[in-house]
Amino acid sequence: MAPLGYIEVLDGKGNVVERNRVDSFPVHIGRAYNNEIVVDDPYVCPAHVIIELDDRGSPIARDLNSVNGLRPGINRKRVTMLELKSGSEFQVGHTLLRYRSFDHPLAPTLVDRENRLSVLGSPYLAAFAGLLVFALLCLEAFLGSVERVTVARIISEPLATFAMLFLWAGLWTLAGRVILSRFYFFEHVTIASFAIVGFFALNALAEWLEFLFPFIPALWLAGVFGAGVILAVLAFGHLRFASMMRPRSRMWAALSVSAALIAISFISDYASRGKFSNVMEFTGIVKPLDEAWVPAISVDRFIDNSQKLRKDLETLAQKSKPAEAEVGRTVD
Amino acid sequence: MKYKLFFAVGLYYLNLFLCAPLAVAQGPITSPTTAEIFKRFSEHVVKIEVVEGASGAKAAVGSGFFANERGQIVTNYHVVSKLIHSPDRYRIELSTQSGQIGQATVLAVDVIYDLAVLRVNRPSKGFLALETTPVAQGTRLYSLGHPQDLGLTIVEGTYNGLLQHSLYPKVHFTGSLNPGMSGGPTVTHAGKVVGINVATEGEQISFLVPAARALTLLERTAKTETPSTANFLAEVGRQIQANQARYLDGMFSKATPSLSLGPYALPTKPADFFHCWADALRRKDLPYVAITHDCSTDDYIFVSSEQSSGIVRFYHQLLSTDELNPARFFTLYSSQVQAGNVALFGNEEEVTPFRCLTRNLKTQTGKLKGVLCARQYVKLPGLYDAMFRGATLGARNVGLVTTLNLSGVSFENIQTLTQRYAEAIQWRR
Repeated sequence: MAPLGYIEVLDGKGNVVERNRVDSFPVHIGRAYNNEIVVDDPYVCPAHVIIELDDRGSPIARDLNSVNGLRPGINRKRVTMLELKSGSEFQVGHTLLRYRSFDHPLAPTLVDRENRLSVLGSPYLAAFAGLLVFALLCLEAFLGSVERVTVARIISEPLATFAMLFLWAGLWTLAGRVILSRFYFFEHVTIASFAIVGFFALNALAEWLEFLFPFIPALWLAGVFGAGVILAVLAFGHLRFASMMRPRSRMWAALSVSAALIAISFISDYASRGKFSNVMEFTGIVKPLDEAWVPAISVDRFIDNSQKLRKDLETLAQKSKPAEAEVGRTVD
Repeated sequence: MKYKLFFAVGLYYLNLFLCAPLAVAQGPITSPTTAEIFKRFSEHVVKIEVVEGASGAKAAVGSGFFANERGQIVTNYHVVSKLIHSPDRYRIELSTQSGQIGQATVLAVDVIYDLAVLRVNRPSKGFLALETTPVAQGTRLYSLGHPQDLGLTIVEGTYNGLLQHSLYPKVHFTGSLNPGMSGGPTVTHAGKVVGINVATEGEQISFLVPAARALTLLERTAKTETPSTANFLAEVGRQIQANQARYLDGMFSKATPSLSLGPYALPTKPADFFHCWADALRRKDLPYVAITHDCSTDDYIFVSSEQSSGIVRFYHQLLSTDELNPARFFTLYSSQVQAGNVALFGNEEEVTPFRCLTRNLKTQTGKLKGVLCARQYVKLPGLYDAMFRGATLGARNVGLVTTLNLSGVSFENIQTLTQRYAEAIQWRR
């Protein structure tokens, strides 16, 4: 039986723009309207290519002495003829075409996971997450104040931040409405709320670690990493309900957004690092914890450790030396 | 204490205007003796201008006087400190009442007592001798100098003895010294120099460097006409290094008295030259109480206008509450542990940035969070500024933040004093 199938017109990304059913051979391809497949491309000749069957019954594309020729793929070398297998791509003018036979193998049907995610869209969960954020913001306002406070003040303080949460979710919903024509407000509220809860947890964890283990070097790097993970999950979640991206590309997009934000913070930190300052940089976090639980070293050990401080300062002083050499020049 | 001569310029101009009509109304106020003293000794007093080489403009003005038969001039170190720090950028020009006498070179400095000896190429036309025998309190003294560069001026005042409880002996002179008079002589009616004008606290409270100290420095330069060193800045560093022992040895040792503050016993007034103050913040609108106890040395060593050294200050702050829950109280406590983390002075040319070390410490009687921050002097190797801060741990509604500040000390001294200080913070259980 003749290898019937489709000739597909592809766009730059490889997506199918147009499908032409092939019910018999030969098939003529060109700009003229008497072809079986009409290609609307000014770089294609009126009669550009013909697809026929060879003696073995395989489809062969043959160049009909066209101006711009036949290529076995984008910007490949011109050929006069080309044997087509199911899935073969070929270029005429600026147009990429693909041949697929009827028996071309198909990928297995995807299982729709919509149901598994539907819990995110539950208004109850969204309300719970939103209230959790509000409660945390109130708690922070309360614990962060050292003056006498009223309930009204505690509740009013986080309102602006809370409003921002809904604005943020609303913008994502709008994006989803435009791109997917779907309304995912609760999902976005839930995702953003859990990200905020994540930041609260990360911050609390960082403070306790900083307090208990001040000797761990570069603890802040772990914090930055944690923030990066939360940001990536946030972007991944929002994109799920605001774009048609596949999981893999969504993951890459989320990771890039997170990496970009972290990179920006690193760059601005690095830019300000060179500046001289009279500030003593240390974190003085203390927590109400029974002494027995606090890992501590003897004062002698502390003094030993300060030797490293001395070395660091020596290095810093060496760096400042050129200025000194200039000042110390002889009197004339 | 901030009683530098150079920095009260605006205020004194104001005083001048306010006082002018008064002086006219009173008629001639200078006694004949003062006029006579001025006439006899004014030629021995010089105006010292530190001139910026490139622009030819003066960067600092002070006073000085011929102090021996070789024509050597005594002044304050702080008058010529710009030249000490940047010898290639500045030069010193001298003049007397009768006119320019030319450029001077520095022969020796004593940064601890704020003195310098200069030399000028000019035959001596007399000098003011330094008086080392004590003078009686209440003796009338006459101070000469160039206040605000307004021309040579004579100021009357009285001798009020040496300062009590001062690390570096200073004469307490009751008379109005003003910026620009620094380095000038304060003499008896016989023209004997009792002290060298150095500082003021305003309202007639002024200080002189005792003449004996200048005599010691002059003895070093009497036999030589060449500078005692090619690099005075290094000499300044050496002097500060050598001076540490006299005030840091034994500080915060077992002999240091202790003070009870809440559940803690803490060091206080380690030596006579410390002044301690205490205060409490108890306000009805605040749900906590803060009690502070602050001790510091009054004396400091002028290194440059951006840097002073030799100050020891420590302060305790006891925070307590009956009202705040532990989480809220520790928000307050944490912020106080972090507070005051900016040094007032220091620029890139003189010091490195700070580096800090934070650890939880276990002392004999309890645990505390300890932070040690230090920076190194760039031009004076081996000298550092440091801050040690301790915050007691374990309690839920009471906390103590204590801070020790040291400036211009060796790293070994930072370590020794930090260790003693941390161990001196004790829990009374």
